[in-house]
Amino acid sequence: MITPLQFHLATVFLKIFLRDRQSIVFTLLFPLIFTGVFLFSDGEPDPIKLGLVNQSQSTLAANFSDLVAQEPLFDVTEGTLVQLKQELINGDQTALIVIPTNFEDAEEPSTITLLLDAAQVRQADAIAKTLNNSLISIERDIREIEPMFSLEVEDVQARPQRYIDFLLPGILAYMLMNLCIAGSGFNVVEYRRRGILKRLFVTPIQAKDFIVAIILSRMVIILTQISVILGLALMLLEIKIAGSLLSLYGMVILGTFIFLCIGFFLGSLAKTQEAIRPIVALTTFPQLILSGVFFPITSLHELLQPIAHALPLSVVVAGLRGISNDGTSLLTFNSTSIGLGIWMAISFFVAVKYFVWKEVAN
Amino acid sequence: MDGISFSIKTGEIYGLLGPNGAGKTSTLEMLEGLNDIDGGSASIDGLDVSSRTHEVKKIIGVQLQANEYFDRMSLSELLVLFGKLYAQSPNPIELLKRVNLEDKASAKPAELSGGQKQRFSIACALVNDPKVLFLDEPTTGLDPQAKRNLWQLVRDLNDSGMTIVLTTHNMEEAEYLCDRIAIMDQGKIIAEDTPQNLILEHASEPPKAKLHGNIEDVFLALTGHELRD
Repeated sequence: MITPLQFHLATVFLKIFLRDRQSIVFTLLFPLIFTGVFLFSDGEPDPIKLGLVNQSQSTLAANFSDLVAQEPLFDVTEGTLVQLKQELINGDQTALIVIPTNFEDAEEPSTITLLLDAAQVRQADAIAKTLNNSLISIERDIREIEPMFSLEVEDVQARPQRYIDFLLPGILAYMLMNLCIAGSGFNVVEYRRRGILKRLFVTPIQAKDFIVAIILSRMVIILTQISVILGLALMLLEIKIAGSLLSLYGMVILGTFIFLCIGFFLGSLAKTQEAIRPIVALTTFPQLILSGVFFPITSLHELLQPIAHALPLSVVVAGLRGISNDGTSLLTFNSTSIGLGIWMAISFFVAVKYFVWKEVAN
Repeated sequence: MDGISFSIKTGEIYGLLGPNGAGKTSTLEMLEGLNDIDGGSASIDGLDVSSRTHEVKKIIGVQLQANEYFDRMSLSELLVLFGKLYAQSPNPIELLKRVNLEDKASAKPAELSGGQKQRFSIACALVNDPKVLFLDEPTTGLDPQAKRNLWQLVRDLNDSGMTIVLTTHNMEEAEYLCDRIAIMDQGKIIAEDTPQNLILEHASEPPKAKLHGNIEDVFLALTGHELRD
């Protein structure tokens, strides 16, 4: 299937890459930084910095504020309204609760005010909910009421899974996409601009030979990069992979194929070196948001979901996540396999069909 | 291109002359199978260029105006690569010897001088031992020494039986190297003959008795004296 010419051309591209020391250093640096970031940001969430203003003199208020201070979720600072408000504005506090002067009778409902900075608006909901829950349990303590029930979270598939386990396959797929498009799209535009492609196509070479050769060589490079990332993630972040590594690598290879082909197509679409960057950004950025890298696609608006599911990155993310989180095999036949097959066919077709090797700059 | 028609004999050196934008490179690229021919036809060694491009590419050697190659590859590695593209395994050192670059076998293209680069381009065009060699402005930008050296190389290749088609702005080059010349302007061939006949016909009477007319006079007489881009 792979001709001796394609193989030789692939070794040439590999040689060119291996002789480029700077790019080797940077490609290895990237996974190291990536793992480092997660290594240091992993672990227990930091307590919410909560300012507390007690305007009431009652024992009830004193009791209440003691209990709030004991709550492990909060890092409580007591002070005056003016002082804490300034701290909130400066960002030294995340939220501020104010116990009103009339907070004295446990039988009379009273209002506790929660002050937030608008900059924290993303967290506001979560903070308010957490606070409310804590306040309710504190109230129970004060009134000496036993809670009616407690909620125990249990995963149906009984596996201990953290957010990082969910995130890693997504990030892996996203990195795959970026590495591939940089490896094929950007290279093709550069080779074409310098007339190197034109010189190659004076010979009886065919677009297919060139594309297959770049795919082969990039596959070797990308599998090495992914292995470094995966190795570090398994060792340092203690990522658990439910399926087999073989399946995972198989899926990486299929993803690499799709994204390299897309890269070729974008490289042919871009007439100049300046055009390739926005074209690539326009293709990759929406996929980063829509393809379930950071959160499941089901959390998107209903109208967007069918589109999101069809994106190539979504398909690769779903494939990797299935193997990594749910323990499916590469050979498991499901909607993801259909998506993969379709995207492999489409991307290879457009890469070969629309391949431009002539100078298009003028 | 505007209805041009010409034929090149086996074993000759054929020159395409013309001001910038006259269509020399386009004509060459049509023959090389790089540009589509939208009307008419061209054939090389009995093979129609449009319909049998792939086979034509196998029997021609091409030196383009832009001669850039992959970075970080040595000359001999590049020659091996080009050989593979024709499914052949030429000896890179032998090829480099033919163009006087055998001591540069492990150098990278970026380390070569202008003349060396042109000679290396010709070496690349020779990997498939072509029947026809196309050279697009092979001596543009070269100093007189490098230019003469390249002329000698073209002569030697022609002596070994290779048909050579070249474009040039250099009248001295056309006169010295070419067996026949076609002068092009605005996509048309406006004259085609041996250098000698062209001089006899268009510049037999030099402006002043002491000056001898040459191909440059012919060229200017035909294409006018105005500057082109």
